[in-house]
Amino acid sequence: MSTAEPHPQEAGSQEPEPKIVAFLCNWCSYAGADLAGISRIQYPASIRVIRVPCSGRVDPFHILKALQSGADGVLVSGCHPGDCHYLTGNYVARRRFAVLNDLLEFAGIDPGRVSFSWVSAAEGERFAEVVREVTEKVKALGPNRKLVKEPAS
Amino acid sequence: MSREEALRKRARELLESKQVVMVVGHRAASTKGKAQPAFIAKPEDAESLIFDETCGQNLAGHLLKVKHLGKIAVVTKGCDSRSILVLLKEKQLDRAQLHILGVGCEGVKEDGKLSDSCITCEYPNPIVCDEMLGEPAPGDRLQTLNPKPQTGELTSDERWRELSEDVSRCIRCYACRQVCPNCYCPVCFVDASQPALVGKTTELSDNMVFHIMRALHMAGRCVECGSCARACPMGIDLMKFNRKAAQIVKERFNVVAGVKEDDAPALTVFDPNDKQEFIR
Ligand code: SF4
Ligand code: SF4
Repeated sequence: MSTAEPHPQEAGSQEPEPKIVAFLCNWCSYAGADLAGISRIQYPASIRVIRVPCSGRVDPFHILKALQSGADGVLVSGCHPGDCHYLTGNYVARRRFAVLNDLLEFAGIDPGRVSFSWVSAAEGERFAEVVREVTEKVKALGPNRKLVKEPAS
Repeated sequence: MSREEALRKRARELLESKQVVMVVGHRAASTKGKAQPAFIAKPEDAESLIFDETCGQNLAGHLLKVKHLGKIAVVTKGCDSRSILVLLKEKQLDRAQLHILGVGCEGVKEDGKLSDSCITCEYPNPIVCDEMLGEPAPGDRLQTLNPKPQTGELTSDERWRELSEDVSRCIRCYACRQVCPNCYCPVCFVDASQPALVGKTTELSDNMVFHIMRALHMAGRCVECGSCARACPMGIDLMKFNRKAAQIVKERFNVVAGVKEDDAPALTVFDPNDKQEFIR
């Protein structure tokens, strides 16, 4: 996460893309990202994907740790409500994310740093759209300076 | 008979008749004007029990340390009873092994001043009890003193700065966790090392993550007893986080921790219709 190397697609561009860690559930959003790829749909090279079995596997600690380690933004994406491979994983996760979302806002972490979405395996275009949108939001906020830890010198 | 006399008398009776093996309550501490938890196993020791405005400790957590002994009687004010309900729902206690001695609470004082959490307390009387000692406290008396703190309209940066000032003083002694009646995990997230979930330094980033996650883990479980804020040696206003978490859970899921006997802890269940305006 702390690699300084620019992403290959980023190297030539003027404005560096923000670094966004994306937790994608194996059954829907990861497959959605895959579909976007095989359909050759363009979206910003800002995301670093971490595949998780279910959005319910994403602990708020993972999200905060990403921000501490230097991510400018975090995206968590899972199956639409009712479509969870494990039936209710995303419903339970949704409550946890709701509390985290509100606590982050309360603590003064800018809304938009951490985003949540539902993307199904059939929604390649939607996945690309979500990434575009999240990237724009994070770009507008600028680099993450609040939760990031000073690199040990 | 005063409430305190009634309390001592009942404690003695319960122990003498062997209905309980221990009475958990409060006694005067060696520091003047402070109380400490009392674990009374002999009838003659019941004389040391007190209950007054110094008895701020929430006793529910201590039950977890003595529950293996058998049936326990416990002196219970409003917030203790809410904690007991939370622990019962989380299957940490067995109702049949408890005898709840209810007392109405007029508010806990610290250095002569009504404690912050007691100013906003809405439940001074036990929600569950087996018998009430003395009169219940007037339920709305405290509420009338109760200007709920206003957070106002601050920007993200202002909120961050304000909380940072508080949180950056934290020395990570974990007194707040130690004293909390509803913290009982055998391995707390702050101690976990595989994986290390939160950094152990007192850098602002680690401290902020600790405080956000403490609030998140207490969401729907914290009964706003204020024990943590009173225990903090650095005077950090932990109730700010606790109140916020309670407000979120109330507004989003319509749950208040430990005031009903039959609802589930808010974050262990879900409603398919939970609001999801924050999800794209
Ligand atoms: S977090 Fe603090 S106020 Fe809440 S139950 Fe624990 S000690 Fe009481
Ligand atoms: S008691 Fe206070 S200083 Fe100690 S860990 Fe808790 S908030 Fe930090």
